[in-house]
Amino acid sequence: MGFLRLYYALGLPSFLVTVIALYLLFTGSGEAFNVGRFLEESSPYLWASTGIGLCIGLSVLGAGWGIFVTGASILGGGVRAPRIRTKNLISIIFCEVVAIYGVIMGIVYSSKLASIDESQLYTKSNYYTGYALFWGGLTVGVCNLLCGVSVGITGSTAALADAADPALFVKILIVEVFGSILGLFGLIVGLLVVGKAEEFKAAAVPAALGALPLLSH
Amino acid sequence: MSSCPPYAPFFGFAGVASSMIFSTVGAAYGTSKAGIGIAGLGQFKPELIMKSLIPVVMSGIIAVYGLVVSVLIAGGLDPAQDYPLYSGFVHLGAGLACGLTGLAAGYAIGIVGDSCVRAYVRESKVFVAMVLILIFAEVLGLYGLIVALIMNSRASEARCS
Repeated sequence: MGFLRLYYALGLPSFLVTVIALYLLFTGSGEAFNVGRFLEESSPYLWASTGIGLCIGLSVLGAGWGIFVTGASILGGGVRAPRIRTKNLISIIFCEVVAIYGVIMGIVYSSKLASIDESQLYTKSNYYTGYALFWGGLTVGVCNLLCGVSVGITGSTAALADAADPALFVKILIVEVFGSILGLFGLIVGLLVVGKAEEFKAAAVPAALGALPLLSH
Repeated sequence: MSSCPPYAPFFGFAGVASSMIFSTVGAAYGTSKAGIGIAGLGQFKPELIMKSLIPVVMSGIIAVYGLVVSVLIAGGLDPAQDYPLYSGFVHLGAGLACGLTGLAAGYAIGIVGDSCVRAYVRESKVFVAMVLILIFAEVLGLYGLIVALIMNSRASEARCS
């Protein structure tokens, strides 16, 4: 039954996109849909800044989500078993670590930003850096989001298991550790992706505004 | 139009990201879902918890598959060297192959792990069948890894014109 809502949600945008695409095709301006031109004409600052924003934003979203899921269970279980309160704060710390990963990567990525005049901005190296920061930031952000939610769910499970039987906590903590390595993997990929990218640099020979993208055709 | 346009790394990086992101979705789902089942099992038979951690370990392996392919693709991207659009698309395909299969495998491991450990509480002979089913689910991710590795090895064949 829930899939019907999905069909409705995806149906209208797909229909609109199809209508617009067919209109462009049948009125002879099909060439207006040009992915390469869009990628060449969009500013590398767009990609870099969006990536950094997504990196920290999604990481913190994951951390917050995990904290509220775990926290609600710890507080609820603590009513009947107050001994679980202090030991289960470690699950909250596991979720918080995910936000710290996002902050670290945000700071590392921000060091690549530099202010360049627009006539000298569109170089191959700057395009590379912009795309690297976007996709690296998105990877770090989404991996941290998933890690935070996973650690939150598992931490909630651990708290309630601990309330039932104190010996179970350490064993469920193993599952939580497996969940938290996901954020670490995202961090590794984020660092690798940006490792070779250089910071934004002015072109050696300033080109006329917008001429450089056309010269490569 | 040149065969090494400056926007080619966009697709290469998209491959890196999709490999890591989709396998992490699968791994996170598998870990959480199986973890819930394991906590349920632990209430009744705590001595069986260690053997029941197998689905969680296998979900972690799915994440490692995604990491390996991401690292390999990212190693092929370099701002100082020519990067043809062909390589960009091949890297994107490799990333999607590993990522989406990891997503499927992680989902399967999660649901199978959760229901099988709950059955393991009641009947300990279920264990061997559970491991067999989990292996078949894990191997889906392995197929994606193999295809991604094959594609990645072919990615540096084109030259700039």
